[in-house]
Amino acid sequence: MQIYLPIAEISVNIFLLLGLGLGVGFLSGMFGVGGGFLMTPLLIFIGVPPAVAVSTGANQIIASSTSGVFPHWKRKTLDLKMGVLLLIGGSSGSIAGVQLFALLRGMGQIDLIISLSYVGFLGIVGGLMMIESVRAIIRAANPDKSGGRRSLRKRGWIDRLPFKMRFPASGLYISVIPPVAIGFFVGTLVAIMGVAGGFIMVPAMIYMLRMPTNVVVGTSLFQILFVTALTTFLQAAQNQTVDILLALLLTVGGVIGAQFGARAGRNVKAEELRALLAALVLAVCLKMGWDLVVTPSDLFTILPRGAGEGF
Amino acid sequence: MIAALLLALGLQGQPQIATEAPGIVAALTQETVEIREDFDGAELVLYGATRGLTIQDEIVVVLRGPGRDLRVMQKSRSFGIWVNSAPLEFDDVPSYYAIATSLPLETIAHPDELERSGIGLQAMLEANARAMEASWLLRASTVVDGAGETNPPAEPGEQAEPPALIRQDRVSEYLDAIARAGRRDDVFAEAQRGVEILDGGLFRATIALPPLTPVGNYVAEVYLFRGGRPIASRSASLRVEKAGIERFFFEFAHDLPVLYGLFCVLMAMIAGYIANLAFNRR
Repeated sequence: MQIYLPIAEISVNIFLLLGLGLGVGFLSGMFGVGGGFLMTPLLIFIGVPPAVAVSTGANQIIASSTSGVFPHWKRKTLDLKMGVLLLIGGSSGSIAGVQLFALLRGMGQIDLIISLSYVGFLGIVGGLMMIESVRAIIRAANPDKSGGRRSLRKRGWIDRLPFKMRFPASGLYISVIPPVAIGFFVGTLVAIMGVAGGFIMVPAMIYMLRMPTNVVVGTSLFQILFVTALTTFLQAAQNQTVDILLALLLTVGGVIGAQFGARAGRNVKAEELRALLAALVLAVCLKMGWDLVVTPSDLFTILPRGAGEGF
Repeated sequence: MIAALLLALGLQGQPQIATEAPGIVAALTQETVEIREDFDGAELVLYGATRGLTIQDEIVVVLRGPGRDLRVMQKSRSFGIWVNSAPLEFDDVPSYYAIATSLPLETIAHPDELERSGIGLQAMLEANARAMEASWLLRASTVVDGAGETNPPAEPGEQAEPPALIRQDRVSEYLDAIARAGRRDDVFAEAQRGVEILDGGLFRATIALPPLTPVGNYVAEVYLFRGGRPIASRSASLRVEKAGIERFFFEFAHDLPVLYGLFCVLMAMIAGYIANLAFNRR
């Protein structure tokens, strides 16, 4: 059954969209990530204009992070103060990102920048995650060999920054600059890549800010919820690239898939799960990298011209 | 459809003032095509009548969609990756262009004649390119060096770059690219046939509208060819518009973007909250 999407202006099979939501939802539930890094490239692949795919991806993440943030709120595994700081950075990053997006689209280079960002970030994060999880698996296999955790190292230069503040929920006393900077960086990515940025936010909170892991996911979801809400709003208001029908169809599949994914994830060891996720991230990275290098089937690109026009 | 036929017949039956003067009339079976949520392409039927149709006469129907301004870029490899470069701009290129004919177009008229009257995809694109040449000359260097660097356009007053800088073969590569992209999406179609000549000087043309049919005002032009030349023509207009939910959301998004943005955010939050109620009860 075909459905015509009003903003994307293409006709797509409704079951394909539901299935896409279900599949990506399953993986995001299993690995505890937003899944935007899979959804946006897949939408582009089925013919949704990149600008619409990125903006609509952000809209769909609002729904998944809303449902994800409630349990954390109830269990109080959420550092509200840290979340607000990340949000301040994230909001400015999102505003800057939407402007940058419009500028690059005007230059005809948005596809390239989206692809390059994907290759770069997914490659780095996937690679680091793979190394870390493989080490963890090896360590788990040989428990006798110095099983003790490495002591928490000092944060180094981060501790020397001014404007320190207390974060009781995380048990931290650090400068406000790193959270705001990380928030800004991830906010920009939300606007340009259509991803929630959890795959960068979570490692940054653990390894750079040294936040306790039990509050990391809740805090990350909290800030992602508001940054994607702002991004969706800005993209809709400025670029008219949010397709509500597409977002709702993906959401329906996504929330159901996430439940099954979360259940499936409980049967797999944490470090093996991380290795699987790293493999998935690297696979998407390699696919996008390959597409940049391989000779395209048509050497010409036809782009629409004129301000305010949809892609 | 019947109304169109009757109209066509009625016009055909008009007193023939100059018996020999050939003429043509046409009407579309629908004046608007609505794109609804289940739109997956449509078939458009055009009826027409001719006056003084002889055995060597042929009919050509051209349906042209709203014009779009395009920027065509050629990918070139730099540092191992493919980057868009060497842009060439085109104004007012039809977003849809279809031809239906009573015989294959190349047997109806000589290419030169088609080019002169601007009929056919190739002729249409070439005419468009000729219209753009003046503006390209101002920034000819951008096109030719192919590096994609935007040199400041020369002042219109001063001596522009020599015209030879826009090589004809390069422009035709760009035109071919536009044609290729249009055919890929089925928005450019040159049917070998599609016009059926019925009895009594009546004819019927069928034209396919693909799933990616652009929205806007269309013009259908009907030509009567005799001896390889168009001797009469008529045009009819068509409007393709979104309807139902499609129209509602499209207009909502474009007319009230701020409210639409808030609506999208709210809908997603409600969906997430419902999901939370459904699955996170514990």
